[in-house]
Amino acid sequence: MLDNDMDRGGDVSRERPNRPADSETTGTGPDREVPLNSHATAEVINRWLDGDTAEPTGLRGEAARSVEFWRRIGEETDRRRRMATPAYLSDKIMAALPAESPHATPWWRRDTRMSPGVIVAAAAGLLAIGALIASLFAL
Amino acid sequence: MVPGATGLSRRRKKVYSSAVQTTVTAPQIDQSQADQEVISRVLAGNRDAFGILIQRYSDPLYRHALGMTGSPDVAEDILQLSFIKAFQHLSEVRGRFDAWVFRIVANGCKDWLKNIRRTHLSYDEDDQPTGYANPEEDLDRTELRSDLDRALQSLPASLREAFIMKHVEGRSYEEMADLLGTTVGALKMRVHRAREALQSLLEEKYA
Repeated sequence: MLDNDMDRGGDVSRERPNRPADSETTGTGPDREVPLNSHATAEVINRWLDGDTAEPTGLRGEAARSVEFWRRIGEETDRRRRMATPAYLSDKIMAALPAESPHATPWWRRDTRMSPGVIVAAAAGLLAIGALIASLFAL
Repeated sequence: MVPGATGLSRRRKKVYSSAVQTTVTAPQIDQSQADQEVISRVLAGNRDAFGILIQRYSDPLYRHALGMTGSPDVAEDILQLSFIKAFQHLSEVRGRFDAWVFRIVANGCKDWLKNIRRTHLSYDEDDQPTGYANPEEDLDRTELRSDLDRALQSLPASLREAFIMKHVEGRSYEEMADLLGTTVGALKMRVHRAREALQSLLEEKYA
């Protein structure tokens, strides 16, 4: 669904509902701007903010207000994106680190992760070895 | 199907990156190798080499912690504790260091959010010079900043996290999915819901 929408390349004029009767009833001509409904507006805005389309233009009413709103929010988020860590923090963190460097953990101390399948196979193998040893002693 | 940035045409990629200023991820493999070399030096006894990793990743991690907690002091504390933890467990890094340390910071933020009962927190204006010449404009920006901050704090942590990663950190959905271990579709949904909530909270004043 979204893929098809993206192919419109940001041409929001195509978002307008196809209502040929409008021109007949109002006599305003086929180029009259038709406001988007709230669902269509949200979709257009989300596609723009997700970077899938260019900034929508030629919108009116609620849709235009939404674009203006997100433009203002965008200025603030841009400012936050440029924020840097306070200059002193790096030194503060380095000073707080333990005095000794961490050492590579030997393999026998490392955490081991096994999938359930591996655990079952290992258990079956151990059982088989146990059974083999038991049978040797039985002889 | 939800398209990803990697599957976009060149024209769309241009539109995409210019709109959200997405982090460039192409040299990630080189970066990962460079990180591994630094980690090897630290594990071999060169403690100071850890400073390279701090310099390399503290800015995006600080922005994440600041966005999640809304407090510069708390963000600094979380960053400090996270890097100490990363240093102590450096030998356990498997795969990308940046993704690993991001998860430590993200978990630190979530733990803080679970434990703390906040009354009112906002950015310390003295710490964040705005640089706007017009005092009225400056006042408007300051008000928007604190209102946005309050609105963000009122969102559920998962929505706030997704919004901050997308809009403040400028990450692509693919990168977010990689870091958070979830799907692009789920993250798009979270970001869209966060936008909807923020707009309903703020549009009366700012639209």
